[in-house]
Amino acid sequence: MQPTPDDTIVTQALNDFLIQIRSLGTLVRDEVPRIEPRSRSVLATPEIYGLRQIVLAGSGDSYIAAACAAPAWRAWTGLPVQAMVSMEASRYLDLGQAPRSARARGLLVVSVSSSGEGARLVEATHRLRALGAITVATTANAGSRLGLSAEKVLDIAIPPSTPAPGVRSYAASLLGLYLLGIRLGEVLMRYTMDEANRLRGQLGELADPLSRAALESEQPVQVHLERWGSFDTADVLGSGPALGSAAFAAAKLVEAAGVHASAQDAEEFHHLNYFVDRPQAVPAVLFASARAAGATRSRELVATLQELGRPHLVVSDDARFAPAAQQLVLPQVHEFFAPLLHAVPAALLAAYAAARRDAVHYRGHRGPWRGAQGAGLVRNSVIELDP
Amino acid sequence: MLKTYPLETDRNGLFDITEMADRALADSGVRSGILLVSVPHSTAAVTVVSPWDPRGFEDVHDEICRLIPTRVDFKHQHDTPQDAAGHIKAAVVGHSRSFYIEDGKIGIGHSQKIYFWEFDGPRRRSVQIKVLGIV
Repeated sequence: MQPTPDDTIVTQALNDFLIQIRSLGTLVRDEVPRIEPRSRSVLATPEIYGLRQIVLAGSGDSYIAAACAAPAWRAWTGLPVQAMVSMEASRYLDLGQAPRSARARGLLVVSVSSSGEGARLVEATHRLRALGAITVATTANAGSRLGLSAEKVLDIAIPPSTPAPGVRSYAASLLGLYLLGIRLGEVLMRYTMDEANRLRGQLGELADPLSRAALESEQPVQVHLERWGSFDTADVLGSGPALGSAAFAAAKLVEAAGVHASAQDAEEFHHLNYFVDRPQAVPAVLFASARAAGATRSRELVATLQELGRPHLVVSDDARFAPAAQQLVLPQVHEFFAPLLHAVPAALLAAYAAARRDAVHYRGHRGPWRGAQGAGLVRNSVIELDP
Repeated sequence: MLKTYPLETDRNGLFDITEMADRALADSGVRSGILLVSVPHSTAAVTVVSPWDPRGFEDVHDEICRLIPTRVDFKHQHDTPQDAAGHIKAAVVGHSRSFYIEDGKIGIGHSQKIYFWEFDGPRRRSVQIKVLGIV
């Protein structure tokens, strides 16, 4: 039997997605040494010593990358660091603040967007720069509206790959954020240069575990999806940096498979989505590092999911963390860098879930979804430059 | 003969390396000549200080920090402010010292010892010692 055109599209989409996922190891190996020297020259030492507060802003995958990196930035810099969606940064941060105030110069805004064209983040960067903040566009497109609106640019351009919901661009955003965060902590002398280089080394050394994780996760992910059968909603859970991983997995499930997936913190789950009806019909994925600050609560959550009868998968780095049948074990890395590894099973879940549902990524930007063609929905929103 | 000794510094300040120099001299068998102590680092130096009062080490280190304080506005910003100040301190103090050898002994007095001076620690460092002379 000849495959239908839709079959061909779905198979092609799966293959494109897999190519991106399998390339992450090479991406990290190649890009860490390229982005690292750029991260050194973005901010001058006196500027770094003037910082009092840091906002990592973005939307979609870029916000998620910021959320993953924010705990590490807090630890590395010792400063208040907040991941912020671009709407919050653009419309709800400069209210009542005097423009160009000297105090605002202590605010660093790192605006993350691979394309650099999301209207809300461009707006946020304009407004916060006018407020007096130091603005750094972390983008693959220095000539974009974001690149031009920010005072400084950290270039995270990477070689192009196959079309699929962003995995490589997300990884590049993470690398840019990690390397800039490490740099700030180094200049602030929160640790020695040797220790900073050790952190950079740990980041670069993720190349092999990433390649291995891609190879070893494909089959178990398919087994779990097979076990879960058909589902239309899913919870993706985690805490700290892993809450970012959960958000990334949920985002990919929405984009690729059209599943109504939502991310929730391991603590918050016990307060909220725990009470979802028909628990057997709502799979849950938990991202948890065994040595994470939130690990004890994540262990309790494993027991909670079992008691609820939720179909679930625990992505961890310790075989003892959850029953083997419900667990995918990744190589052990520092909690701060785990989101890079988590991106592999997160994207694989979305890729294979989409294939099982015969789902076309982004619903093909057709029918009621046609407004998203050319990213028009996020690029063409009206920009308001005045508070 | 060139000897290289590893040294792991756990702070900034002075580290006694006289014993390394004595060992290098003993291994060489030289009775009369020159002993050179050198550090292959741009943010560390070699000096001679009196060992008797431990607070004296602090005075010596405090004074160079007073003369060349760590500032955030150095033009060299590739690394850290401490590193930038360390380059200057090392340049001023010098990366090596030479001593005469006579009767198989290093020419330093009762109140002198040889010190590695760390300006950007903690770091993994090394000390190189060259002995030239007549056995």
